[in-house]
Amino acid sequence: MVLEATMICIDNSEWMRNGDYSPSRFQAQADAVNLICGAKTQSNPENTVGVLTMAGKGVRVLVTPTSDLGKILACMHGLEIGGDMNLAAGIQVAQLALKHRQNKKQQQRIIVFAGSPVKHEKKVLEMIGRKLKKNSVALDIVNFGEEDEGKTEKLEALLAAVNNNDTSHIVHVPAGTNALSDVLISTPIFTGDGEGGSGFAAAAAAAAAGGVSGFEFGVDPNLDPELALALRVSMEEERARQEAAAKKAAEEASKQEKGGEQQASSQDATMTERASASASEAETKTNDMMDDENALLQQALAMSMDDPAINQEAKDTDMSEAASDDPELALALQLSVADSSKDSSSQSDMSKLLADQSFVSSILASLPGVDPNDPSVKDLLASMQNQSESQQKNDDKKPPSEEEKK
Amino acid sequence: MSGESASAIQKGQVDLLDFIDWSGVECLNQSSTHSLPNALKQGYREDDGLHLDSDADEQLLLYIPFTQVIKLHSILVKGPEEEGPKTVKLFSNKEHMGFSNVNDYPPSDMAVLTPDNLKGKPVLVKYVKFQNVRSLTIFIEDNQTGSEITKVQKIMLYGSTVETTDMKGLKKIEDH
Repeated sequence: MVLEATMICIDNSEWMRNGDYSPSRFQAQADAVNLICGAKTQSNPENTVGVLTMAGKGVRVLVTPTSDLGKILACMHGLEIGGDMNLAAGIQVAQLALKHRQNKKQQQRIIVFAGSPVKHEKKVLEMIGRKLKKNSVALDIVNFGEEDEGKTEKLEALLAAVNNNDTSHIVHVPAGTNALSDVLISTPIFTGDGEGGSGFAAAAAAAAAGGVSGFEFGVDPNLDPELALALRVSMEEERARQEAAAKKAAEEASKQEKGGEQQASSQDATMTERASASASEAETKTNDMMDDENALLQQALAMSMDDPAINQEAKDTDMSEAASDDPELALALQLSVADSSKDSSSQSDMSKLLADQSFVSSILASLPGVDPNDPSVKDLLASMQNQSESQQKNDDKKPPSEEEKK
Repeated sequence: MSGESASAIQKGQVDLLDFIDWSGVECLNQSSTHSLPNALKQGYREDDGLHLDSDADEQLLLYIPFTQVIKLHSILVKGPEEEGPKTVKLFSNKEHMGFSNVNDYPPSDMAVLTPDNLKGKPVLVKYVKFQNVRSLTIFIEDNQTGSEITKVQKIMLYGSTVETTDMKGLKKIEDH
């Protein structure tokens, strides 16, 4: 139950049109803002929340801190996307808005959504950070979207300058299947520092978000706070691990861009890692579907056997055409080609793994309710082996043709 | 401000502690573990071990509103010899002050504290400038040795409330 005045800085720059966060970066951000506003106003009746946009014609304050949730939600409608984000100005305007808050008892907090590249020098940001700290303003940063050189570093430097007794936080949200708001729910930005009201806030938000069971992880935090806390902690650890893995993968990809064929072997190592991870995932999933696992298993295997080569062939021709028009686009395409070729190789690794019949049958035998001697399963395995062999040949042919294109 | 001090607190001047509006008191750049009550609240301020610390740098900005209009006569700031405050600026009735606009207004009064002052000798302020004070802003600009952190052990404000002085004055006349 922290008494707080919060200013939320929204990034409405052109970068927010990107669709890598569903449905779009901007919509994902708007959802997250709504969620945070709800949580903040509910955790204490005297809490106030304000909103400003950092891009467009300039920094614009949409709502000064208010406890009227309707006002906040209304201002989020009809926002226009345009221009570049001005982080430094946004934070300073937010600080000014907080300074003139009605209730001086309220702690001050700024929540920044940074989805576009940060142009400012690290030093400038640190200076602003120190100023915030001096004025006892806490700062939360949601780092998502563009991931260019030094953005993370700059934002972390800004945070380090502000941070006082761990009241400020930063969350990195890589693009992925999870909605931005869902990721934020379990972070300290959303739950706040106090343990008291956080459970309620999380539960309320999960219900609002239409979670399956109404609660995060399907556990009511009010009934079993310890279990809920443990789940949340493990969730955070998992996210940190995924972030690290994503970073590593990105580094590998960039290395691959620059170099020639040598690093293929190192990449293979990570690929097999990934393949085995997905295999174990598949295993756990199968555990859940006890009833018609035969049909589903077949389906899943068939899907994973889909020949990636065909897709890629088609894609490649499209891309090379497009690439001649626009150098930037070409770069983006090159990146995505690297990604997809990675995908296909991981798939072929997977199929190699599956082709090893003894391995697959040992997995199958370990699954409850699956009989490896079942004729239908045997058939499937045999057909898989044939398929994967033919695919392997395909794959062997493919790489040289791809090199030429690059 | 005259560096001279009253040998004792003059007659009619009272500790203004009781008239502080605690709900509005604010201190910028205070360390969260060594906060303003350590220097201002009764009981805490008498203990030299409990002190107010600055956090990010050596400056401190205190905003003290009062429940009624007061006249400020003198101020006592106690601190350690090295990290104690040096330049202190006082502003009356200035709300919403921050470090960014601290130089926008001329201070109502300014004092450079001597080691004597830091040991507990009150400083007289320009009494005429503080006749109608609803809130007092104290800006501590630097400390004695220029170190990173400023420490304040005790702050006391002496003065009188506008209404009560009149009443007391009347009674005294009746006594004679």
